[in-house]
Amino acid sequence: MVKVYRSTVLDAPADRVWRDLRDFNGLANWHPSIALSRIEKGHPADKVGCVRNLQLKDGARIREQLLSLSDYDFSCMYAILDSPMDMSDYVATLRLLPVTEGNRCFIEWSAEFECRPEQVTELTDTVGEGMFQTGFDALKKRYGQR
Amino acid sequence: MKITVNRSAVIDAPIDRVWAVLRDFNSHEQWHPAVDRSEMENDAGGDVVGSVRRFCLAGGSELREQLLSHSDREHTLTYCILDSPLPLLDYVATVRLKPVTDGNRTFWEWRSRFRAPGDRAGELEGLVGRQIYEAGFTGLRTFLADEGALARPEPPGASPPVVETVEGELLPSRAVTVTDHGGPDLLLLSDVTVPAPDPQEVRIRQTAIAVNYLDIGHRRGIVPGLELPGTPGVEGVGEIVDVGAQVNGLFPGDRVAYMARAPGAYAGIRCVDAGACIPLPAGVSDKDASTLLKGVTAALLLGRVFRAAPGETILIQAVAGGLGHLLSQWAKSMDLIVIGTVSSTEKARFSRDHGCDHPIVIEDARPLQADVMRITNGRGVDHWVHSSGARGLDDALACLSRCGHCAVIGGRDGQPISLDVNLLKQRSLTVSAPVCFDYTDDRPYLHRLAHQLFAKIQNRTIIPAIETFPLGKASDAHRKIESRQTTGTVVLIPDK
Ligand SMILES: NC(=O)c1ccc[n+]([C@@H]2O[C@H](COP(=O)([O-])OP(=O)(O)OC[C@H]3O[C@@H](n4cnc5c(N)ncnc54)[C@H](OP(=O)(O)O)[C@@H]3O)[C@@H](O)[C@H]2O)c1
Repeated sequence: MVKVYRSTVLDAPADRVWRDLRDFNGLANWHPSIALSRIEKGHPADKVGCVRNLQLKDGARIREQLLSLSDYDFSCMYAILDSPMDMSDYVATLRLLPVTEGNRCFIEWSAEFECRPEQVTELTDTVGEGMFQTGFDALKKRYGQR
Repeated sequence: MKITVNRSAVIDAPIDRVWAVLRDFNSHEQWHPAVDRSEMENDAGGDVVGSVRRFCLAGGSELREQLLSHSDREHTLTYCILDSPLPLLDYVATVRLKPVTDGNRTFWEWRSRFRAPGDRAGELEGLVGRQIYEAGFTGLRTFLADEGALARPEPPGASPPVVETVEGELLPSRAVTVTDHGGPDLLLLSDVTVPAPDPQEVRIRQTAIAVNYLDIGHRRGIVPGLELPGTPGVEGVGEIVDVGAQVNGLFPGDRVAYMARAPGAYAGIRCVDAGACIPLPAGVSDKDASTLLKGVTAALLLGRVFRAAPGETILIQAVAGGLGHLLSQWAKSMDLIVIGTVSSTEKARFSRDHGCDHPIVIEDARPLQADVMRITNGRGVDHWVHSSGARGLDDALACLSRCGHCAVIGGRDGQPISLDVNLLKQRSLTVSAPVCFDYTDDRPYLHRLAHQLFAKIQNRTIIPAIETFPLGKASDAHRKIESRQTTGTVVLIPDK
């Protein structure tokens, strides 16, 4: 099992950020690597079990299924169903925690998956930097951080 | 009523560094401003699940807490309160750290659930959230900053040039020298040369020097301690120029504050005992740090001398003065009821903004008993801070509650004070005469109180009011204090 973990602090209250992040169909609105997103079968984006169909800017397609969504904990989990990446059993968790000092929030994004040993370094980087940290950097800009 | 308290912050240090401190269930006395002393029952280690720690709080009250879970893997620990002076029922708290990979920082969450009487819910939520959790965040930051200062390696040989070139040499400076005891006009600035520090000393380029009422007594010759010719002043703040051969843990360039029994502070550059120096956290300005002696005196009066507890009453003479305005804010932060004397309505207004609930404007020599009894519903005050020597002492004792305590911390005329112990016995009164230096000779205690003070300044629980004079105008500063024209504290600033 490979684990990837990234976290940062955003200059906005947790409930404000959660409004953007809880939309399982909203990734294309803020993540620079994602070109298009739609939810399959016309399901609502907060129906647990729904599948989002993402098209990346580089043309690749990824299908991900929403496993859990909690407005109470500001968290969600999802799994990758299909992707061009050479990995399996990918489950990711995204979670916000309020930072009461300064009314900001802490965001953590983690994933676990299986892959061939020689792929670990590359895939860890693709997920950790390409997906998570790139997303953080965009969110930091979105909420007015240098 | 069920209450949840949740506070969180980001600490600018890697998680391992923060957890190394927090994982020790017995570490609070090192970093938490509210905790004076902490010890483990049965000498258990700070990571033994089930072990019990005993806190002695800054206000003097005691607390017992038990460690319920501890995980180095998750960076969390959970504990509950066994005994507390406050009605925090079924109190269970969790401390949890998470790494902020972006910037190698630490997210710290501190939360608890407990039951409390409905009418005290808001008050207790605020007390736990602010005075325990938020004050803890600030305290740990200060502690880590100091740790960093202590762990800092010697500056490499090539840099910094300024320090290297002056090391060991005589340095020219200016100091206020008194050649005769008497009035403020005798404070005169003159050129001096400052020799290199002795093995146990550091040489400091000072930036802020607080005036204390003691300096006036020294100058007038009614308080012993200043040999002539001599330089008054018992505390200062500045930057270390160079350090003696046997000094550990302090380096050129460090910002420090000190307080010392022996006068000599009214100077641009001077040498002081390294043990008296307290490294300053980045968030505290030199000027604010020059409240050290008065702030530490406030802390030891409340914590050690009175062992004051929330809800008790304290009367502070000259509450708008240097010590007074710090002491009243500190007392207020501990939820004491603060009564104070001032000589004008303007000072009354000032003192109200600085923690005093009930300023009393005194016309000279009028007894306070009637006012005090009215304010305290006939009970009298628990603690009295007395700075007028023999004057008004009888009145002070009459104003005390049963078992009350009057601390005589000063007298403006140096007259002897006599006391009838039988009078004390009638109502179990205590009269003490504490002098801060006798307490702060215990260096770890001094450092702990200084950190509590700096934490309170940083989180703005205490806002010092400071009037500055150039060092060369020390005579004007003394004159203004003696004519009762100042509010807050007075600080001398040497030329660059
Ligand atoms: N024992 C210790 O360890 C210790 C430590 C620190 C300070 N102290 C003592 O605490 C007291 C306060 O010290 P501080 O440095 O903060 O000074 P301060 O209170 O700022 O001193 C000036 C104030 O004293 C009041 N005062 C009362 N009678 C006065 C008089 N006859 N002449 C001049 N001023 C008079 C004035 O306030 P009003 O006009 O409002 O009355 C004046 O503004 C001093 O007695 C000092 O010695 C003791």
